[in-house]
Amino acid sequence: MQKNISNNLSSTTCPACGLLCDDISISNNLENACAKSISFFTQKADAASPTIAGKAVNLAEAIKEAANILNTANNPIFTGLSTDLAGFRAVFNTANHIKAPIMHMNAESTWRNTKVLQSKGWQTTTLMEVKNRADVIVCIGTDVISHNPRFFERNVWNKEALFTDPQARDIIYLGGENLDTSGGASPSGKQPTILPCTTEALPEITAALRALIQNKPLKATTVAGITINDLQAIAERLKQASYAVLIWVAKDLDFAHAELTIQNITESVVALNEKSRAMGLALGGSDGDTTVNYAHTWLSALAPAEHDISQHDAMVWINSFSPEKPIPTTDAPTVVIGNSNLQFSTPPAVFIPVATPGLDCSGTLFRVDSSIVLPLKKTRESTLPTLAEVMAKLDVLLT
Amino acid sequence: MITLLKNAKIYDPAHQKNGVKEDIYIRNGHIIAKPSDTEKINETIDLKGKVVMAGAIDMHSHIGGGKVNIARMMLPEYQEALRYSEPEAHICGPHCSHHATPSTIETGMRYIEMGYTAAFEPAILAINARQAHLEMGDTPMIDKGGYAMLGNDDYFLRLLSEKADQKTINDYVAWTINATQAIGVKVVNPGGISAFKFNQRRLDLDENNAHYQISPRQILQSLSRAVHDIGIAKPLHVHCNNLGAAGNFQTTLDTMGASDGIPMHLTHIQFHSYAAEGDKKFSSAAAQIAEALNKNKHITADVGQILFGQTVTASGDNMMQHLNTKHANPKKSVIMDIECDAGCGVVPFKYRDENYVNALQWAIGLEIFLSVEDPWRIFLTTDHPNGAPFTCYPHLIRLLMDKPFRDEAFAKLNLDAQAMSNLTSIEREYSLYDIATMTRAGAAKLIGLGDRGHLGIGAAADITIYTEQDDKEAMFSKPSYVFKDGELVVKDGEIIKVVWGKTHTAKPAYDQNIEKGLKDYFDKYHTIQLDNFKISNDEIAQDGRNQVINHTK
Repeated sequence: MQKNISNNLSSTTCPACGLLCDDISISNNLENACAKSISFFTQKADAASPTIAGKAVNLAEAIKEAANILNTANNPIFTGLSTDLAGFRAVFNTANHIKAPIMHMNAESTWRNTKVLQSKGWQTTTLMEVKNRADVIVCIGTDVISHNPRFFERNVWNKEALFTDPQARDIIYLGGENLDTSGGASPSGKQPTILPCTTEALPEITAALRALIQNKPLKATTVAGITINDLQAIAERLKQASYAVLIWVAKDLDFAHAELTIQNITESVVALNEKSRAMGLALGGSDGDTTVNYAHTWLSALAPAEHDISQHDAMVWINSFSPEKPIPTTDAPTVVIGNSNLQFSTPPAVFIPVATPGLDCSGTLFRVDSSIVLPLKKTRESTLPTLAEVMAKLDVLLT
Repeated sequence: MITLLKNAKIYDPAHQKNGVKEDIYIRNGHIIAKPSDTEKINETIDLKGKVVMAGAIDMHSHIGGGKVNIARMMLPEYQEALRYSEPEAHICGPHCSHHATPSTIETGMRYIEMGYTAAFEPAILAINARQAHLEMGDTPMIDKGGYAMLGNDDYFLRLLSEKADQKTINDYVAWTINATQAIGVKVVNPGGISAFKFNQRRLDLDENNAHYQISPRQILQSLSRAVHDIGIAKPLHVHCNNLGAAGNFQTTLDTMGASDGIPMHLTHIQFHSYAAEGDKKFSSAAAQIAEALNKNKHITADVGQILFGQTVTASGDNMMQHLNTKHANPKKSVIMDIECDAGCGVVPFKYRDENYVNALQWAIGLEIFLSVEDPWRIFLTTDHPNGAPFTCYPHLIRLLMDKPFRDEAFAKLNLDAQAMSNLTSIEREYSLYDIATMTRAGAAKLIGLGDRGHLGIGAAADITIYTEQDDKEAMFSKPSYVFKDGELVVKDGEIIKVVWGKTHTAKPAYDQNIEKGLKDYFDKYHTIQLDNFKISNDEIAQDGRNQVINHTK
């Protein structure tokens, strides 16, 4: 561990995935941390200085060059947006100032969910309801834990729950590829039900399940390799549940018109809620995507949209949290503002390292299930400016 | 720096000033007594022909938090009108649907342009309080604050079912107000949101939540007592059981008696004043409700008037909103269970004057306004955005102040609805003094804002100055001047300076030992740490914005 500002930080929030586990304890070692969390909290501090075309410069020079690029461009875009609320507010102001569009790095998968919300709406729940009520959990096209490693540990296999016996929960995996289903086995050895099918068969499978839940007769005896009897058994288990939860991760539904598959899931929930209780839950999330989605919506009255980066003649790429994530390729000059551990195959026109919220500065993030907002702590000393500080200095130079 | 407002015609019900001509002096954001002759007056504004009131206070408007943001996200079509740049295509009046889901920036701007200087979010889910404050923090121009929702959270319901003593309940309620930076407490469909999670579909006042075996009446008794005992000004804010259901007025009447005489505020009472008479089994119970309000001096209410047009309903009452999803227009909705704390239901709605039920809802709201005698105990709201966007307030004020205008609107309603309403037989017209009472003095007194809602010496200089006109909608739409904390921020209906307002809170005392049980509960059943549940002043007040004011004496 590096020089921490305190040698005992408890109740620390981890921003490495959408779950925002806030039980991380930082003392001489990291307690309750998953692999993603360890890699986040152990990244190198102050690992780079500002550069112009790969050459070290001071912060003021770098900001001035970034302003030159933006002032010269006709149609720049702010993207990446891996940041917290304070960072996003600052980017939003500056982008509005020069009328530039903004787009999060997860926009494509987020937009799959937004399309469903804007088409029919949905009926959803949050993690504490899952933890205390869910007796049946169906993971559709996902193992969850590849995105949210501690999902089962923190919200499913608990010692106690308010309204259900945690160890007796039924876990069902329906479809998806290369899944790690180990999370679905209870500590006492109860195994999950696994109905395998390819990701591309999910539209068919979810449509069939939805029809069965709605009591519509099906003539087929199998759908994409799964027997109707097996699907019927799941439909019946869902109808009998005290509180069924149907989970999807938009990023794992990477095929054309995935929103229609998500809608099969959400409309299955709507049908179940006519007589019994069930709820949907979209998991995954990373890089402050939920925060950007929500804050953009309240600041502009609209959910953020998708844009085509190739249509823009300058790009500002912002990535505070995930140095391993690649920068999209574009012929346009690129200003990178982000984590000091970012690596480049070709140096960008300008690189400005900034503080990472939850490490180098405090911050605020929304959890993936949307209603819960948690504070991030400054957990080590850093000399880096915050994204908001850099944007404020940049903003006054923009015409 | 002293500003003199000369020849002001003052409507200040807190000081029984009904149109008296007086001068007002402002210094350092406050109203001061007439300074000595040696002190320099820096600026003088002559207010001949103008009407002066304190800044208006909206005591119930959904301006921050998850529900409204879900509505914004779900309804991009509401913003469509704003995309047209041609002025003739951009017809944007108070009924324009984009006002149902304004951005936070626009919310503040539209409020101050109408002379409102504060608005209170009435349904802050405790677990979602940080989001509510973040959104309110991005709302410029006006002061903000909110009421924390309790009574469907499993911690409280467990306490009640385990027969915890009143002191423990009081400590938990006071702790929650502190932790969530609220100024009041609201209960929504007492016990019903929880009951829905156990698959109950309706809950009457004396019907038990199936799991906890406790009734809404017990919840109201316990919470109203707690709010009273901990000494905050704002009485328990009650959204009754059976929202919107035909015949629900009896529940509302019974609810008035549920607190054993302890003050309670019944919110958006229009939605709870329905009888089930007539061919369509839906009729007005405004007369019974108004009579009961006149009689029960411990009860206050706001109306939640509906006005015709496109809007969206956003409520914590997911039990009743789930039933309403079949009326959604456009056909989409969001229902959520939230964190063993509460829930929400967001259902878009289009109120139409040719629709029998909608027309009667409109009439019922106005019947209640005009039949409740004491303007200190009834408040002007549309339950924004549920009944209509808050930008409709000037229209609503004219309906209350102008009988011929009201009768003309009534004549356009669905004919069957006209036949079921006695609205035209009510002669009353609200006076400027009545309007100032219900939108200023009464609201400030109810919430406990000692230095707001009036124009006395020492008051914060939140002042709205209108040009007197016969058309009261025009008059209240566009004040000539608005001062916020002594700064001139609106002139001739245009914003000339951006300010950020303050955050009003209460900080009642509690026994620290309450955290022992809470810590154990959080560690076993919650998904976050107790420490992270609590919101600090610093999280709300940043860069000189949204300073946290504590109104607990």
